[in-house]
Amino acid sequence: MSYYDVDAILTDGEKVPCRFELDVPYLGHLDNSNGLKPGSRLALPLWLAEMFALASAGEDSKPPLTLTLPPCLSEQVQAALKADPRAVALRDQSAYFYGVAVRMLDLFDERELSAILRRTFVVRAADVGLHARKAEESGLGGQGEEFLRGLDEWERRLFRRGHEGVRGAKEWTDNVKKS
Amino acid sequence: MYGDSGIKLVQHAKRTQNLAHLPPYQTELVRAVTREVRDLNKDVDDLLEPFQGSFDPSEDQAVAYTLLVNHISMRRNKRCLLAYHRTRTDKLEELVWNGADVVDLSGQQVRDGSSRNSTGLTSGDGSTSSLSPQEEDYVRQYGDLLAAYKGQWTDIDLTGSLEPPRDLFIDVRVLKDAGEIQTEYGAITLTKNSQFYVRQGDVERLIAQGYLQKLS
Repeated sequence: MSYYDVDAILTDGEKVPCRFELDVPYLGHLDNSNGLKPGSRLALPLWLAEMFALASAGEDSKPPLTLTLPPCLSEQVQAALKADPRAVALRDQSAYFYGVAVRMLDLFDERELSAILRRTFVVRAADVGLHARKAEESGLGGQGEEFLRGLDEWERRLFRRGHEGVRGAKEWTDNVKKS
Repeated sequence: MYGDSGIKLVQHAKRTQNLAHLPPYQTELVRAVTREVRDLNKDVDDLLEPFQGSFDPSEDQAVAYTLLVNHISMRRNKRCLLAYHRTRTDKLEELVWNGADVVDLSGQQVRDGSSRNSTGLTSGDGSTSSLSPQEEDYVRQYGDLLAAYKGQWTDIDLTGSLEPPRDLFIDVRVLKDAGEIQTEYGAITLTKNSQFYVRQGDVERLIAQGYLQKLS
């Protein structure tokens, strides 16, 4: 992940829900009120929330806000993924589903979640590869279309690579036959 | 919310990555982001003013966290700005390597200008170029640099096509007046709508620049 990586920047722009633990009168603009009270809830972009959750001013003071898992990683979504990873449209949860998940796992110690996500990716990646190979023959569309629309940004890249690979190999074999 | 204009800028950059040409420079958005940074900086100065340089974060946490938010927002905006410009300069470098120069890039202005009116993405100052003045400068200087680099090997064209030509001679049609060119077989005057049978190597660059069309 590079500093200039456009996808990384957009991933960082995804919002996560947090709860403020401190009274900060100057930051009312964050949730359009006149000052944040302890316990106020708001959704902050990841780039801001992460630094905030890790910051603390004194030795014994607690961090000014607590993070919670974003809705795209909620219990329901986890349960759905456990049932059948292929049936969930990850893009509807978040366009940068895996990106956000990886960033959250850096902050939370969620073994089960990481196991679910790993299995989700492996199962879905096989399907992505299958569709990438078939897209050449049947054209886009058919029963795979809905699945492909639900791919998150990372899986889309995987799909594109797979598709290019198949096409490249085909072009090459055609050329070999010709000459 | 701080950083919203920055996100828009990066979304533009993301779209740019998948395009063959370069969309118009987002003067307005860039200006909005820099203005935001300036405002944030002023906020920081105002907040710190009463402390006269003796600010202790653990004593006044509210101020400390406000400063933190402002600081992170500024850093975020900086990252967005840099990423946007870097995406564009990468694209420009690619175009220069493909044989485009400032004149070619200004050639696509007309098309961009018309699409811009429909999408409402005005670049603010009413100029028709899809490049900012700085970017035009960059292209010019990068082009010079590339030319100097290529000049070290006069017998090989580093930006030439990697595909070996199938025929030595090809038919071309002239799309735009290109004036007179010198070939091994004498001078040819390329006037619009005329057709020639020429050596491919002589006219490759003109094809790439869109003056000639290859007829198969």
